[in-house]
Amino acid sequence: MRRNRTRSLVLRLVGALLMAAATFALLLPVIIIVLTAFKPTAEVNAFPPTLAPGTWTLDNFTRIFTELPFARLIGNSFVFAGGVTLCALVFDSLVAYALARIDFAGKRLLLIAIIGTLMIPFQATLIPVYQLVADLGWVNTFAGLIAPRAADAFGIFFLRQFFVSLPQDLDSAARIDGASEWRVFRSIVLPNAVPALLTLGIFTFVNNWNDLLWPLIFTTDAEMGTITSGLTLLTGPGGIIPYGVMMAGSLIAVLPLAILFLLVQRRFIESVATTGLK
Amino acid sequence: MKKSWMSAVALGVVAGVSLAGCSGQGGSGEGSSGGPATLTFWHGYTEADGDVLQSIIDDFNASQEDVKIETEVKTWAVIDDTLLTSLSGGNGPDIVAMPAERLPVYAAKDALKSLDGFYADGENADAINDAAAEMEEVEGSKYGVPTGFVPLSVFYNKALFAEAGVTEFPTTWDEWVATAEKLTIDEDGDGTPEQYGLALADHETVANGVWPSLFYGNGGAIVDGGEAAIDSPENVEALTYWADAVNTGKISPTGLSGIDTDELYSSGKAAMTIGGPWMSFVSADAGIDYGIAAIPAGPVDQASSAIGVSMAVTAQADDAAQAGAEAFFSYFFSPEVAAEWSLGSGWPPLTDDVDPAAVAENPTVAALTEIAPTSRALLPGVVNSSDVLAAMDEATQKALAGGDPAELLAAAQEKIEASLAD
Amino acid sequence: MTATQQRSRPYRPPAPLGGRRRPPGGTRRRTTAALFLGPGLLILALFTGWPMVSALRLSFTDASGFGQEEFVGLDNYSRVFTDPQIVQALGNTALYAVLFTPAAVALALALALLLNRTDLLGRGFFRTALFLPFIVSLAVAAFAWQYLLDPQIGLVNYWLRGAGIRLGNVLQDPVLAMPTVALVAVWKSFGFYMVIFLAGLQDIPGSLYEAAKMDGAGAWRRFASITLPQLANTTTFVVIVALIAALQAFDQIYVLTGGGPYRSTQTVVMEIYESGFKDLDLGFASALSYVLLVITLVLSLLQFLVAGRRAERD
Repeated sequence: MRRNRTRSLVLRLVGALLMAAATFALLLPVIIIVLTAFKPTAEVNAFPPTLAPGTWTLDNFTRIFTELPFARLIGNSFVFAGGVTLCALVFDSLVAYALARIDFAGKRLLLIAIIGTLMIPFQATLIPVYQLVADLGWVNTFAGLIAPRAADAFGIFFLRQFFVSLPQDLDSAARIDGASEWRVFRSIVLPNAVPALLTLGIFTFVNNWNDLLWPLIFTTDAEMGTITSGLTLLTGPGGIIPYGVMMAGSLIAVLPLAILFLLVQRRFIESVATTGLK
Repeated sequence: MKKSWMSAVALGVVAGVSLAGCSGQGGSGEGSSGGPATLTFWHGYTEADGDVLQSIIDDFNASQEDVKIETEVKTWAVIDDTLLTSLSGGNGPDIVAMPAERLPVYAAKDALKSLDGFYADGENADAINDAAAEMEEVEGSKYGVPTGFVPLSVFYNKALFAEAGVTEFPTTWDEWVATAEKLTIDEDGDGTPEQYGLALADHETVANGVWPSLFYGNGGAIVDGGEAAIDSPENVEALTYWADAVNTGKISPTGLSGIDTDELYSSGKAAMTIGGPWMSFVSADAGIDYGIAAIPAGPVDQASSAIGVSMAVTAQADDAAQAGAEAFFSYFFSPEVAAEWSLGSGWPPLTDDVDPAAVAENPTVAALTEIAPTSRALLPGVVNSSDVLAAMDEATQKALAGGDPAELLAAAQEKIEASLAD
Repeated sequence: MTATQQRSRPYRPPAPLGGRRRPPGGTRRRTTAALFLGPGLLILALFTGWPMVSALRLSFTDASGFGQEEFVGLDNYSRVFTDPQIVQALGNTALYAVLFTPAAVALALALALLLNRTDLLGRGFFRTALFLPFIVSLAVAAFAWQYLLDPQIGLVNYWLRGAGIRLGNVLQDPVLAMPTVALVAVWKSFGFYMVIFLAGLQDIPGSLYEAAKMDGAGAWRRFASITLPQLANTTTFVVIVALIAALQAFDQIYVLTGGGPYRSTQTVVMEIYESGFKDLDLGFASALSYVLLVITLVLSLLQFLVAGRRAERD
């Protein structure tokens, strides 16, 4: 038994080392981004190339803070990405619940129709959506930014798959006790789907936070832009973006996401602990 | 604004469902009715040139009371990506600036208003440089006015020239290639130089102009009088000449795009690059002591494809807006403003009546003004310019990778004929 | 003032099921279902369904987004199948999907299984670190990759040259460009699929594994007989979503190669973008979009059928 334990410790160490090597290789581009953000312009294209800056500089960051209404853009990003995420989680989980746990005629067809909407590239519907939002007078408003994404087929499909795989006996007891669908949904299915909801939440948030074309097209007013669309305003001579500045900007833009994920991924582990699985 | 019944349903339902709370107050104050006509102007001048343009517009706004121009600065790529959508919803700009080769597409699809009236009797319109005005013509009508027209030129690294003992900048192709060979250094002799004489892009070249310039130099063209002309013997000769210089002389790496050439030059790994006026800033940023020279003369001609930018009035503008825009154009091309813009943008003057002495204080402008007469508009009036340029890029990139120039240009000819016929 | 409104026959959003009628059986269920479905479906119908109908109508016209548009029948559709460039783009898209989909799904599943082991040291760190590529915006990631892979001044080439290896210009090589683009896309998206698998793994009751261990099942057997079947719904989802992402490949190609060299990485959605937004040929772009939709639908239904049959067997 004891020898087994030592052996397993060695195995664990080797495993962790291998993972670390793989992680480094996978993260090399990210490391480049971080380090380039601190490089002076002259060093970025210098040859021979280097990983770390020779001189560390904050110039790239200063430029972003002076050229962009920074707080405003980050705030807009939170309202936009957060608003879409909240709305989508509510509407998607309702629809997904009905598709997964309530019997009604035409359910399968409805599911296929919903998934079908995922299959048209958004470039094809962009102009009709824009015209609709423009008719509503919602260009340059948060409503116009958020409403078209307040429910989405991806989220419905995603949650439906999870709701379907939750064991049926979880809620049959409650149903026998006469609980309404709403009760079952709220107090049985939702609490058990926390990992799925968190995953979808992160995905929706990240995607909208990083989305470029949508906020660019829907907000002609620079004050209404998001941090991601705002970064496109940074350009250099001849439209060539100084890479250091671009990296610094994206580093700042990605920081809230990284923190968010850090917080949420702890919840993943907790949700495992509390449900007592494994 | 018309509201379709769908919109009414959407408004009622979506607001009712939940979004009332989500919607915020967006948009800055709109110009109130009764005041001056307010025009929106999108452009992509984001550097010092943008500041100068803004102050010109401010002065224009202050100079009269009928028109007020509000600018929205975006990048050129963003303008191209969002213009169609915003016009389709009636929220686009009234005036828009764009790379000149994009203008014919929008004009042909009725997105822009004809400016023939302005060219016929607008104040200062007759001062506009003819070669620059040629960019604006589509199917016999003019749809824009130039805001930029500048020849591509060669930027070179003076330190590397001095190291190689080169004192004179070459003036003919043969001298140019010889100089480039001198500046190409392969220290370890492995066949891959550590330093290249020239960074020659073979696709997506700066303003798509590198190969047109070289073809003009040998008396060729891409499209001539509305007909595809890329497979001419002159072009085959020119492409063979350069493919040979790159492949046997190793003067440049292959597979470079315009952006790659800028990078290679800024990293000090290439002694010369073909670029636009902004390369002076790029050089300075990279700590390179640079010189500017005209693209050396080819066997037949000295010519250079121009980087062009145009501004146009969109279909969204009503008659009053168009009149306001034309008033602004007249102001923009008045001699003092034209000189101010030239100095501020770092590009040569766009009108013939600017005194060269007025722009002599900026050495880049002075150098470019000197070579300006060699500049030619890129594919004026060609609606499918992006397809034509893609066909050209494929031929040049494949030729530098070792393909047969005659065959490649013949294939490009076929594709260009097809896209011109569309 | 406004561009021509695009209007067609009135479109009815899929009616929320049920209603006021009171047929005998299951009325309450249907009313309940309608209440759950109503809000979400309404938003979808308005902002996705309706624009899709608009696009379908446009696909039979020569619309440019403004100005006049004329009905052109099936012209746009026949162009899709006769234009050699489009046919090439369809082939490129298929190649991309074949390169991307299995690699992304397999890498995500493998890493999820590793990260799900409670005995992995530094599990929390790896979870976060491996998710990073997903949250970095693509434009920036593309720069980092270009910078690493640059044949002249790139770090990877510089390091490899030290080891005597010459990689060359992979993004400008007509054979290697597509695999490279697919590799970057796998790198960008595996983190997300990995998290989905992780969430799915947590819904598998631990008791199943305990029981299998008691029966003396080995690790591989436990994976094949518990993990995979229990993950079936998740896997179906990931495969379909990855497939749709592959068939709609655009962003990574737009920023990395722009479709080149020689159109070797030109995909269908690149063509849709170029015809719609560069050539202002919205009618053709819409037709091409619908062709892509049909292809995707058929492939996804196949995947559903396979998954469904497997589920019935179990």
